[in-house]
Amino acid sequence: MTGAAPRAVTNPLRDPRDRRLPRVPGPCALVVFGVTGDLARKKLIPAVYDLANRGLLPPGFVLLGFARRDWGDGDFEQLARKAAQEGARTEFRDDVWQRIAEATKFVPGSFDDGEAFDRLAKELDELAVTHGTGGNAAFYLSIPPSTFPVVLEQMRRTGMADNAATGAWRRVVVEKPFGHDLASSQELNRLVDDVFTAPDVFRIDHYLGKETVQNLLALRFANELFEPIWSRHHIDSVQITMAEDVGIGSRAGFYEGTGAARDVLQNHLLQLLALTAMDEPVNFDAESLRTEKLKVLGAIALPKDLRSYAVRGQYTQGWLAGQRVPAYQSEEGVAPGSTTETYAALRLDVETRRWAGVPFYLRTGKRLPRRVTEIAVVFKRAPHLPFSGSDVSDLGQNQLVVRVQPDEGVTLRFGSKVPGTTMEVRDVAMDFSYGEAFTENSPEAYERLLLDVLIGDASLFPRNEEVEQSWRVVDPVEALWAEGGKPELYRAGEWGPAAAEAMLARDGRVWRRP
Amino acid sequence: MTTLWDTTGSSVVRALAAARHHTGSVSSGLALTLVAVTDGNLVAEAEQAATAAAAQHPCRLLLVVRHALSAPQARLDAEVSVGGRLGPGEAVMLHMHGRLTLHPESVVLPLLAPDAPVVTWWFGPPPTRIAMDPLGTLADRRITDASRDPEPIEAVRMRAVDYAPGDTDLAWTRVTMWRSLCASAFDSLAGDVRALAVSGEARNPSRALLAGWLQAKLGVQVALEDTPGPGITGVRMAVGDSEVRVTRTDGRTAVLHRTGQPDRVMPLPRRQLSELLTEELRRLDPDEVYAEALATVTGVSGLEERSARRTFVWFDPADPGSVA
Repeated sequence: MTGAAPRAVTNPLRDPRDRRLPRVPGPCALVVFGVTGDLARKKLIPAVYDLANRGLLPPGFVLLGFARRDWGDGDFEQLARKAAQEGARTEFRDDVWQRIAEATKFVPGSFDDGEAFDRLAKELDELAVTHGTGGNAAFYLSIPPSTFPVVLEQMRRTGMADNAATGAWRRVVVEKPFGHDLASSQELNRLVDDVFTAPDVFRIDHYLGKETVQNLLALRFANELFEPIWSRHHIDSVQITMAEDVGIGSRAGFYEGTGAARDVLQNHLLQLLALTAMDEPVNFDAESLRTEKLKVLGAIALPKDLRSYAVRGQYTQGWLAGQRVPAYQSEEGVAPGSTTETYAALRLDVETRRWAGVPFYLRTGKRLPRRVTEIAVVFKRAPHLPFSGSDVSDLGQNQLVVRVQPDEGVTLRFGSKVPGTTMEVRDVAMDFSYGEAFTENSPEAYERLLLDVLIGDASLFPRNEEVEQSWRVVDPVEALWAEGGKPELYRAGEWGPAAAEAMLARDGRVWRRP
Repeated sequence: MTTLWDTTGSSVVRALAAARHHTGSVSSGLALTLVAVTDGNLVAEAEQAATAAAAQHPCRLLLVVRHALSAPQARLDAEVSVGGRLGPGEAVMLHMHGRLTLHPESVVLPLLAPDAPVVTWWFGPPPTRIAMDPLGTLADRRITDASRDPEPIEAVRMRAVDYAPGDTDLAWTRVTMWRSLCASAFDSLAGDVRALAVSGEARNPSRALLAGWLQAKLGVQVALEDTPGPGITGVRMAVGDSEVRVTRTDGRTAVLHRTGQPDRVMPLPRRQLSELLTEELRRLDPDEVYAEALATVTGVSGLEERSARRTFVWFDPADPGSVA
């Protein structure tokens, strides 16, 4: 996770021992396509403000919006100010905003309007002189994937994506979904990598920007305590959960054709699996991390009896958090009889010497009892217990749980004596909490990732090979489900369908209640 | 929150243990113990800054308030709070009166979090010699503030004379954003450094340290220019055939001027005490870059070779001849 500007090596004012100097990118413009969208307003623009407020943006920074609106720079500035005021995590200060406002530009146009892109290319050239951006630019595509081809084609045509032609760096940021299966993601990758060079493509998986996910690497590789037992010799199984209490909201149009497996399992859960299972990287640069993650993703094998180990579910009406919520089928925009899954559980095996025989259980779902994301490493029972059977009847398996969100931290569950005159052992939990009180001011995932893009540090971004390997895992599951049948039903407010419980029961295990 | 009047150190230890059990958070993240040392007049300000810093770094906060040494009776009053007014973690406010102010370690030592690093921060005039304060000798990291000394420039020199690895000064913390700006500006400069100048209030210790840093890193004498302030008002770097000037006259926004380029304005506010303290608590290892800057500006050498451990030197302010 190093990565300073290339000139930094020769700058005598940047001493590697100097840990106070913040990582500040060089001068550049951030070009946002789809500035009026939800993501741009709720995450992106607030993140830009927070970076500025923390003094992490360079003097020559320009925020440039592109959208099909009949707007001037001022109209965009108004929208951005409102978004920053509502979404920023740090205190809103007028004088900080004033600096951003002075360097806020807007180019109106639709994606098929060649003239608009000519104006954009010209604007970027002019900014190099008027605002000292040096011509550097990062393009953030906060737009539907269906519009990628036309936008990328325009960028290719105008040469604005070309590092050599512009004499500066040009990068592109892409949001998920990265395709909907292997073929479409390869197509998308070809398209993007064709216009930009591969190292200049940043795919955002905002989970990787979370402090706790990065802390997993520190936990594993900075300590002597955990890594020696991090293998099949001591680990029984791993459960990775991402549960949401919300339904699909207004996203029916997107969700109907996607489902939980493509929406969450293919990207977030497999990335968490890769970070949990990977070997120690040679160092923490982007290339070494990717090498290790790819090895794991490439070693993932689906169970032979896929029908029993890939469970899909769909919520019916129920009660959640004291409120009655409708069934998926009754949500606005959902087709009656829809077979889209809102819950997916899957067993995977990692076929390496380290992990042979250790199942990885992945599950994700909507309308589950609470919002929680966690990685639970379940250890084997002690090979011998010198206690009588009744003394240890309450003793479970040791667990190490990385709580990704909310209530970030780590929990260790182990057996302890019940105080009293008899020898009874039961499970207790020891919590390490970088609790919310300690992290409220820590940077939001988007802030961290945006900064990394502008600096050019790709270590927290999945590369195209990782995305393609992930589709290789999910595609057979989707194909099986497409053959027919229906998702298992579960009541909203339950921890998923009974079939998911049965899937673990078959292996003699139970899901942990997160 | 538990308040203890005219109490003993052992009672405070028991009260803290009871408060921890009472809240149920028997174990949580604890990275360090922060000992904040202040006097009766400054306690509110110190409390506010330390509480804000404790909210970002999981720590046990011990606020030592030294009242009059001349009080006839040695006396300790304490306030114990876990997850309350004094931040989300464990905090103890210790009011010391009379001769107890010379022996604060007798109360503080049993309250330190086991095996966690100790950071001592003096809010008020810094001690002339840190070795004379038992709260300084027990700390792994020591934070002073030269700007609170009646003679701030002399205080900077004192910090160099008295330096041990692990010491830092908030006057140095205050120039981080200036340094970041200078480093960013320098990224795009090429050629030999021809001239350097730093302007600001003559008595501003941060100006001295910024000049020391530039001179140490670039090997060129830095000219000091006096202005009415506030604080540091500008930096000028002539490198190759271009010149970069950063000026800040209002203490809030800076203008970056560079030969052949349009002027750019950016926020460069003077940071609050809590932000400075938070930056200090991020790292607990010696700040070698600070030592270099301090050595360069004061002309005192051999700072980095000194031992990080100090031996306590007994000194009784009531008997100035008492230095052992």
